[in-house]
Amino acid sequence: MHIPDNFLSTPVWATLDAVSIPAVGLMVKRAGRELEDTSIPLLGVMGAFVFAAQMINFPVGIGTSGHLVGGALLAFTLGAAPATVVMTAIIAIQAFVFQDGGVLALGANVFNMAVAGVLAGYLPFWMWAARRKKAAIFLGAFLSVMVSASLALGELLISGVAMPRPLVLVSMALFAMSALIEGAITISVVQAIERLNPGLVQKPEASNWRSLAVLSGVALVLGLVGFLWASSAPDGIQRLGTQLGLAAQTSFHAPFADYTAFTFDSAWLRRATAGLAGLLLVYAVCVAFGKMIGRRRSA
Amino acid sequence: MHHVLMDQWSQGSSPLHARDPRAKILALLVFLIVLATTAPNAFSALVIDAAVLLAGILIAGLPPISLLMRAAVVLPFSLAFGLISWLAGDRLRALGLVEKSYLSTVAVLLVVGTTPLPLLLSGLEALGTPRLLALVAQFIYRYLFVVSEQAQHLRLAAACRQGRERQRRLGFRAAAGALAVLFARSYYRAEGIHRAMMARAFSGKFALFRRLQFRLSDGFFTLAVTAFLILVRIQ
Repeated sequence: MHIPDNFLSTPVWATLDAVSIPAVGLMVKRAGRELEDTSIPLLGVMGAFVFAAQMINFPVGIGTSGHLVGGALLAFTLGAAPATVVMTAIIAIQAFVFQDGGVLALGANVFNMAVAGVLAGYLPFWMWAARRKKAAIFLGAFLSVMVSASLALGELLISGVAMPRPLVLVSMALFAMSALIEGAITISVVQAIERLNPGLVQKPEASNWRSLAVLSGVALVLGLVGFLWASSAPDGIQRLGTQLGLAAQTSFHAPFADYTAFTFDSAWLRRATAGLAGLLLVYAVCVAFGKMIGRRRSA
Repeated sequence: MHHVLMDQWSQGSSPLHARDPRAKILALLVFLIVLATTAPNAFSALVIDAAVLLAGILIAGLPPISLLMRAAVVLPFSLAFGLISWLAGDRLRALGLVEKSYLSTVAVLLVVGTTPLPLLLSGLEALGTPRLLALVAQFIYRYLFVVSEQAQHLRLAAACRQGRERQRRLGFRAAAGALAVLFARSYYRAEGIHRAMMARAFSGKFALFRRLQFRLSDGFFTLAVTAFLILVRIQ
């Protein structure tokens, strides 16, 4: 699910970078407010734990095994904003040190897994943890994987990566399988942790999460719509990408292939300017939205 | 293990190792963006980009073969997607997926192989990454191997307790128990680390062995790389 560089078209990764930077900035601020300085080592060691957890395999059915992805577990134990910070740091280390996921695609991967995945996973926990804890944990872990996987698939499709319909359906089924596995693993690990020390799993604090719940709802809807749309009409997404100029079509690149002069093609310049302006707009909207959420909370 | 190898590589003393991490990060970004917007069939530009990387590897004194092999981790993924695109008739994209994702990976490896991770993260912080995020990443990297080793011990211990027949695989509940123990131990370890940090008067920042200093030569390096790559791009 870590998208490498050059899989997404330039408008897609650039937009997601412009969205992720303010989103993570907002979460860092929230996490800083929620936690004291004491928890910096906690966040770091928990990130190391998520890395190490991949070494422990869980048997699932015939000869296969799965492992914990961890975004939802972090959200249930540390809180949503700190979990986003930890996941972002993990994804960055995976990109730089382990070459797992691209550097330009960092914004996309962070958005899918650390922002949308964690928030969508935290939403059921926040809503139902008091009454139906088991179901909330299972659903949260399931959604965290499902939402990030559907978003990744949707981004690839909208970038114009051709995928025949059967393949999309098969990958959807695989994603759903791994999301179910994540749910099962998370619930059994949470139960085991509670047997060791009940204090380690957080009680969600209803009061200070309302604004983020809206965001999570958006993330969830985005993921689900992407899922339904991609599974019913993958060609539709591709066509939309082409129409909006998001897909890196060969026609977009063709003029450069045998470019010899220094003269800028005016169409190219116009497109680049429009693209940059669009990015700035997206960035500004995200920053303003973050500020608004911050103000409402402190008011 | 490969990350230990990377740590060895990054301890070298070539001109590339000596550059300020910010200079290298900026040059990397320029390289990646230029590459991302290059057409997959602009072979002359791609060959020059590859030559820039190879020159970098040689200047840095990194072992070229093992670095290129290591960058191949991206190939299974990009070859699979390349094959799909090829079969779907989009040959240009298939080509681009494979060659450009490989070159990007080599570029990232070249920068990470010449910059110790603590320095790289301080560079990212100096370029505007929030301090909390950079600190958390530093901690993750420091404790990654400690906690991973503990995970291996737990796995081995659980396998030992299980007896001979099922020795190879843990049961679902045993694995969950092992993870829960690992979780709790990591939690308590973090508390201990925090107390130790306070006892040593942690100032809210990790001390570096080398202070970040953006010298004139660093600026020159970034400018030269940027100018050259853009020239190649627009030819």
